[in-house]
Amino acid sequence: MKKAFLPLIISLCFIFESIFVELLTVESLVSNRMVVPHFLMVSIIFTTIYGSRKHGLMYGFIFGLLFDVVYTEIIGIYLFMLPLVAYIASWIMKVMQSNIVIVSFVALLGVTLLELGVYEMNFIIHRTDMVFSQFVDIRLMPTLILNLIFIVLIAIPLKKYLDSYAEALRND
Amino acid sequence: MPQFFLNKRLIILLVSIIILVALIGFSLKERDELTWPEQFMKDTAGWVQTLVSRPAHYFAGFFENVKDLQNTYEENKQLKSRLNELAQLKAEVQSLTEENKELRDILDKQDSLSDYEPIQATVIGRNPDRWNELLIINKGSTNGIEKDMSVITSTGLIGKVKNSRQFTATVQLLSSNDATNRVSAEVVGTETYYGQIEGFDREKEMLLLKRIPYEAKIEKDQIVQTSGMGGVFPSQLVIGTVEEVVPDEYGLTQMAYVKPGANFYDIEHVMVVKRGMIQPELSDMIGEEEEKK
Repeated sequence: MKKAFLPLIISLCFIFESIFVELLTVESLVSNRMVVPHFLMVSIIFTTIYGSRKHGLMYGFIFGLLFDVVYTEIIGIYLFMLPLVAYIASWIMKVMQSNIVIVSFVALLGVTLLELGVYEMNFIIHRTDMVFSQFVDIRLMPTLILNLIFIVLIAIPLKKYLDSYAEALRND
Repeated sequence: MPQFFLNKRLIILLVSIIILVALIGFSLKERDELTWPEQFMKDTAGWVQTLVSRPAHYFAGFFENVKDLQNTYEENKQLKSRLNELAQLKAEVQSLTEENKELRDILDKQDSLSDYEPIQATVIGRNPDRWNELLIINKGSTNGIEKDMSVITSTGLIGKVKNSRQFTATVQLLSSNDATNRVSAEVVGTETYYGQIEGFDREKEMLLLKRIPYEAKIEKDQIVQTSGMGGVFPSQLVIGTVEEVVPDEYGLTQMAYVKPGANFYDIEHVMVVKRGMIQPELSDMIGEEEEKK
């Protein structure tokens, strides 16, 4: 029962990202800034660190593919980036102690890495002509602020749930 | 053997980069139709999205309604002043439509470039990674939606259908940065000038209307609409109004910043319109020499 919740939570994050950009009109409040929700990435990083690394990478792979097919229509970018960032996050956590504040910062770092990676790939295939300074100013900073707010809201309940998830995995 | 593991990891990374490049190349190719696993995944996801997005829209709609109530009085005053103007305009439009119809009957010319048939649709999703601005709508090929149909809201053109599945379709917005995302447009005035909508300025949040002749005299607030010459869009769909005209980068033509009539951010209901006139074949539009190559 405990274990069945995780796919549900991650799917909700997946769908909520789309609804978020559809409904929230930040552009009408703060002109010419783009905010991009990365709730999926945050929940996958938390799963990798607190739940199990194997499952985290697996979810990263599956939802990366889904994200590419359903939303971006360029298959490969998120399929590659989500597991890679989850892997890097788990690698960093090997040398850090798993304190919730540190994990939150690692998740934020993961979002930054994801944004940078996706920007570079889109720049290479000419999907954007934004230069780097513009990208940092218009897109990266507002995005990080939004995702930080999300992490702060979700960190403690998600950690509690994932601890019990890891417990259930160990008992099997 | 740590050396061995390091090599294994490196090989996995290299292989996945090769697969990545191959997949990106595959999906960037001009495709008329998506492969069936993609269609299946998108339709299934679309079904779930419909379930979730409806309540979310109702919820958001409630707050919007409350916000609307606050400035009702001001709006009402403004609208009342416009009402008289409207009645006059309506009479004028009616007489013009009738006259147009009569003249067409005399000429025996039935179809025009501006003919279209609308299909109503609701937005159920949007691409969260904002590099490619795509919307997902709840009507698909079973409702008669096909690739390259144009999509409008009540205030103006927003884009075209990128591809359609059985029950859902993807709309590419005008603001997305893609070399194939171009619209043949005209500036309406005493004299009509033609140009092309090519790209979107993120910082100014305006569309770029390029390739306007150098001698064209265009003023602020002139209306920009589709010309129907591109072969994809019907004519006379409003795109926006001219905000500023500057010389092009090479100084040979002019470029105008166009303030889009439709809001690209808060979109809920859209109309998909089918061009009434037939689409010309590509081979008819390019010269014969090019065809031979």
